[in-house]
Amino acid sequence: MIDDSKPIFLQIAELIENDIVSGVLAEEAQVPSTNEFAAFYRINPATAAKGVNRLVENGLLYKKRGIGMFVAHGARDRLIEARRQHFSKQYIQPLAAEAQKLGIGTQELIEMIQAAHGQLSGKEV
Amino acid sequence: MTNAPAIQATHLTKKFKDVRALDDVNLSLEAGRIYGLLGRNGAGKTTLMSILTGQGFATDGSVKIFGHDPFEHDPTLARTCFIRESQKYPDDFKPWQAFKAASLFYENWDEDLAQDLVAAFKLPLKRRIKKLSRGQLSAVGVIIGLASRAEITFFDEPYLGLDAVARQIFYDRLVEDFAEFPRTIVLSSHLIDEVANLLEHVVVIDGGKIIVDEEADALRGAAVTVTGNAEAVTQFIGGYPVIHRDALGSLASISIRATLSEAERQQARQLGLELTPVSLQQLVVRSAMGAMGEGTSKQNVEAMK
Amino acid sequence: MNRIIQVARMQLINKWTFIGIPLLILGASFVFTMAIFWLVRQAGGQSEVTYSGGAQAPMWYFLALGIQSLTLTFPFSQAMSVSRRSFYLGTLALFGLCALLLSSFYYLMGLVEQATNGWWLNGRFFALEWVAENNWFIQIMFYFALMVLLFMIGFWVSTIYLRWRTTGLLVFFIGLGVLVLGTVFYMTLGERWGQFWSWAVTWTAGGVVLGAGAVAVLMAGASYLTLRRASA
Repeated sequence: MIDDSKPIFLQIAELIENDIVSGVLAEEAQVPSTNEFAAFYRINPATAAKGVNRLVENGLLYKKRGIGMFVAHGARDRLIEARRQHFSKQYIQPLAAEAQKLGIGTQELIEMIQAAHGQLSGKEV
Repeated sequence: MTNAPAIQATHLTKKFKDVRALDDVNLSLEAGRIYGLLGRNGAGKTTLMSILTGQGFATDGSVKIFGHDPFEHDPTLARTCFIRESQKYPDDFKPWQAFKAASLFYENWDEDLAQDLVAAFKLPLKRRIKKLSRGQLSAVGVIIGLASRAEITFFDEPYLGLDAVARQIFYDRLVEDFAEFPRTIVLSSHLIDEVANLLEHVVVIDGGKIIVDEEADALRGAAVTVTGNAEAVTQFIGGYPVIHRDALGSLASISIRATLSEAERQQARQLGLELTPVSLQQLVVRSAMGAMGEGTSKQNVEAMK
Repeated sequence: MNRIIQVARMQLINKWTFIGIPLLILGASFVFTMAIFWLVRQAGGQSEVTYSGGAQAPMWYFLALGIQSLTLTFPFSQAMSVSRRSFYLGTLALFGLCALLLSSFYYLMGLVEQATNGWWLNGRFFALEWVAENNWFIQIMFYFALMVLLFMIGFWVSTIYLRWRTTGLLVFFIGLGVLVLGTVFYMTLGERWGQFWSWAVTWTAGGVVLGAGAVAVLMAGASYLTLRRASA
């Protein structure tokens, strides 16, 4: 879960963002405390706090004094929008490059994507 | 937090005959954080901590703990705790007596925490300390260190003698207690990867000199290893500072100090190069080797791992 | 002051070290000596007074205690974040107190001994005449001075070891040996032994107190100076 690729506080922030996007953390839901994060991931509490605070600064979480951190209204939508914009750079372009390396043409690529979608739909509840 | 840094060393030097155990060490550590004091065996970690706690003597330079020279200064000493790796206990002492003594001297001593840890480490309280196993002996020191809740606590290679399970218990309890009772903790270790995630700030000492003194987060992701066709790798890394090279035929694996942008990552992918993050341990090892100059034998690398 | 008291309390955590063992040694020595006295009485007559040096038994333990305080308890006190000064004062103060109490006990037992005519066996364990003929203060101080001297010898030599390790000890003992040998040569060649013994015979218990006390104080001072720059 936590690796060496980038600062831990960024990884914590991303993990929370992932949970918001996937719906595990619904809007207005309470987020675990920084001490709970620290204990769970075995990291420094200050680092966990840094990650959480980053999201507070970005307006994705807000603090209820004396109670804890909560997911802000509209957080999910905002995250999805930001990720959409990154989607192309992060997934499509590497996909295209790899496909080209393997000689997979555009039409074949589209068929593959349709098949994958189909599988997902079949799995969806 | 006080305004004065918790720990301050200025031009600290320690000479043993003609060896410089500490060579012009300058450090300023603020209170309330977990620091890693990393380095090889014999690099100077224990010497440094011993002088910081008034137990050892410096040849030159000065030390200030919360703004005071700790040497023979009881009020300052009482705020620190340093349990050595091979700690001596009074003859015939049993763990419960060692803890009783600690409760006398450490005003923040938490007996409940100590008992909790005794249970977690399965420490036999009534067996003579000299009859304890290596792991149990380490546990005594670790328990005193944790339960003392001293404002500055030094742990000198605390895992030595502890098995993997006990070490995890230690790390977990450390994080838990630190979260509830923030204080300054200095963890010295040569098992870096195990403690890496606990550290906020990293100090690396090699041959008595400080070679790294940075935030842990700045170091994480600050280096990357590029592996692939030697020519492609060289082309890709351009002018980035190299911290390590490995070659095998036409393959090359070069570690560079760089935080790559998304564009650069893509470029690497296109060149067929593999990018792997450099762990804190590897970064420390390779920085140390770099500081010593190229041509270091494999032996030294293995010794660090 | 607080730290010093804490050190004294720490030294008492294991009651055997400063209290139990000395009393045990004293008790065992006493019982053993009484048994010998009784046997002697059984074999011979009741007339003569028999002396025993058994009372000095615990004092040799104090020599060992002085050594042990440095080699084992001092490193532990460093781990307890105690300054050398506090350790020194706390340990010496505690030992002084124990020695004083034990000396007073010797004195009181001496009174009992005299009152019971040598434990009904005409034996002398505590109240050796040469000492017992003095007032209570000199008597108590006599035992106290000897106990403290022996403790300080152990303590002082150990500080030398702590500071300068084996080399230091070697230098110390060789130096001591040279000094002793030199003195023996001086006395023998100059035929001064006679002078020495006639002087020694004039020693009083009070004189011993002063002499032993002075040496102990010197050692105490030297110990502190050595300890101050020693690492555990």
